[in-house]
Amino acid sequence: MKRSLSILPLAKRITTSAFVLFLTVSFLFVLVRIAPGDPSQKFISPKLSPKLVEKVKTSFQLDKQIHVQYLSFVKNAATGNLGVSYAFHRPVVEVIFDVLPFTILFAVSAFALQLIAGLLLAVFAFHHNQKIWDKLLSRGSMFLYAVPSFVSGLLFIYVFSVQLKIFPSSGIKTVGTLESSFFLLLVDYTKHLFLPVLVLSLTGLPVYFKYFRENFEENQKKLFTLYLRANGVSERKILLSHLIPNSLNSIIAYAGVDLGILFSGALITEVIFSLPGMGRLTINAILGHDYPLIVGCTLTAGILIIFTSLLADLIRLNIDKRLIKGLLN
Amino acid sequence: MKGIRFSVFHFFFFLLLTTIAFRLPLLGNTAMLLASYLGLLFSDYRTALDQFSLNMADYFCSLFLIIAIPVFLYFKRKKLPTLKTFSFLHYSVTVIFYIFLFAPVITNDNFDFQKDISVTRLLPPFSSIHALHLKSDTKKPGRLNDFLSLKRNVVKNSFDDKIVFYDSLRQNKSNVVCFQNGLLISLPLSSIDLLNGKPKISMRHFVLGSDEFGRDIFNRIIYGTRISLLIGFCAVILSLIIGVVLGFLAGFSGGVTDVLLSRLTDLFLSFPIIFFIILILAFFGNSFISVIVVLGFSGWMSLFRIVKGEILSLKTKDYFITAQQLGLSGTKLLLREALPVIAVPVIVNTVFQFGNVVLSESALSFLGLGIGNDFPSWGAMINSGQEYLAQAWWMIFFPGFAIVLTLITVNDLGRKLAHQFNPRMHA
Repeated sequence: MKRSLSILPLAKRITTSAFVLFLTVSFLFVLVRIAPGDPSQKFISPKLSPKLVEKVKTSFQLDKQIHVQYLSFVKNAATGNLGVSYAFHRPVVEVIFDVLPFTILFAVSAFALQLIAGLLLAVFAFHHNQKIWDKLLSRGSMFLYAVPSFVSGLLFIYVFSVQLKIFPSSGIKTVGTLESSFFLLLVDYTKHLFLPVLVLSLTGLPVYFKYFRENFEENQKKLFTLYLRANGVSERKILLSHLIPNSLNSIIAYAGVDLGILFSGALITEVIFSLPGMGRLTINAILGHDYPLIVGCTLTAGILIIFTSLLADLIRLNIDKRLIKGLLN
Repeated sequence: MKGIRFSVFHFFFFLLLTTIAFRLPLLGNTAMLLASYLGLLFSDYRTALDQFSLNMADYFCSLFLIIAIPVFLYFKRKKLPTLKTFSFLHYSVTVIFYIFLFAPVITNDNFDFQKDISVTRLLPPFSSIHALHLKSDTKKPGRLNDFLSLKRNVVKNSFDDKIVFYDSLRQNKSNVVCFQNGLLISLPLSSIDLLNGKPKISMRHFVLGSDEFGRDIFNRIIYGTRISLLIGFCAVILSLIIGVVLGFLAGFSGGVTDVLLSRLTDLFLSFPIIFFIILILAFFGNSFISVIVVLGFSGWMSLFRIVKGEILSLKTKDYFITAQQLGLSGTKLLLREALPVIAVPVIVNTVFQFGNVVLSESALSFLGLGIGNDFPSWGAMINSGQEYLAQAWWMIFFPGFAIVLTLITVNDLGRKLAHQFNPRMHA
């Protein structure tokens, strides 16, 4: 009985995810096809003979009927065969896998930073409940929430790179760093990634802070806290083993989507710091009308987001069994 | 809301008086222009219509509002509540609203005005540049010419060939030599406006500095406020209509419609919507209208969810069932019975959505996919400042400040409204 209860919502959840993914692919196909401009034109100069033009068109599968294109499109997307990028002249999958490690490193470090800093600040603010620190922090987080990353990013570059010259302003490694010395390489990477990670996490930090702070407040009013207090459990223990775990539920749901969006590329931060990540790859593909790469990037982003939010839901289900009922309805 | 209005209106008055004090000549000219235009309208109808422009109408509107608002407030003064609270939010909302209304009167030049780039480019804040005035053409008599010269005084063009900016000046017997950052310009004395035998010199102030084309950043920020707010209003209204109608449909009819619409919402929500926005704008071209439409179409999901949830709970209420039994049509049910009840969460959500749209618009402009170069936009200003980061911090600092101030204000407003309407929510 228990087993069937846990499998059914799981199956339902995964089916929904798959359906959303399928819709995304179809939507993408329609969008790319109805877009004005023939992508093959970019590879065809007037000097080419008509025969060669045909050959180029056939190689990009642009000469067939629209429904044939759609079927092959879905089939290719499902099997991971995403074609050859027009701009890079390499398979799309290869191009994406080139930037994926960096993107994941970047996203995970920013995610970890904002989550941990948000939690610590919320604990600090909660400790100083309704005192000056609490109010300052909540004001500050509201201010931070209103600062877009292209403003904070450029200001940080101005202060730390242009004026103080502490951190480099762009790229991922200095030209001419000794490849052999692992330690130097690590220092170099850290130096290059410090500002971008900081900027990226600053946009998410206020959200986590606010979630944690409000959940603490809410849980503190509940009867179980009162009971624990009445039994003389220390405040520290209440916070660590009761308030924080009880606050996690909604935060995990938010974090799942957030991490997925971070994986799919921190568009503006990557553009400002010229980092080789998914976001910049995607926008370059879009601006260059590189259709296979656009499809590949958006599909990867969709898969990552759907996957992380699925993961988050599974974690939540594992923590709080009451949610299963909600999913079943 | 009692008590707020009084203080806000006092502050509004203060702003109005400051503007009037600084721009009295302009306002006088505008009044004269209006009189001259009306005269022209009665004497030569066709030419008057030809001469009509939106910019001119803008100035007339500002003049009208400057007179009408104090008069209106004076007659309504008994009904204005008394002063109680006073906060940052009230100031900032007033300032932003004021700038939105009176942009043409606050600024003293066209937002695209540029002249003598070698002297005026990348000026730091609070710098002033000397300017020589060339003699204007001799006035021709006639009502139309009077009108045209007045119009030139009021409605500024993006170019003025009667002004010469310079670094330093040397005067000979017969001509004047201007130095423009190493460039020499020699002008005959006869072509220059003179004052007591000496060239008439005025100062042009760049309060917040100038950008790489010598355009005044202050003017561009003021007009950028208008553009941002306008895009915000239009896009939010679009998403409001879509969200409320779809949400009502899904909640009211249920069944297949509900499932389909909810899945569609999931699809939209489970995706980094910014990529789709960029995709659409990059493929179909970016313009004022397309930015509004795309942002409007990408922001209805949260409204949809709220409206659907509210309608679902509303459907079980007795009065709603009665209204349904009476045979009211779907539109009437939505407009008369449902909307007044769900207005509070919808309004609060709309305010937050407005902030999102303003942010997205500036982000798009920053990426070069905004409303184009015809209008100034904060994001585009920051984008162009990126290149001159080492030399001109003011090119990104002031537009960035404008964005942050607007977003803080809008978010704060949303929170305050939510609190006002539903105090228990944050109690």
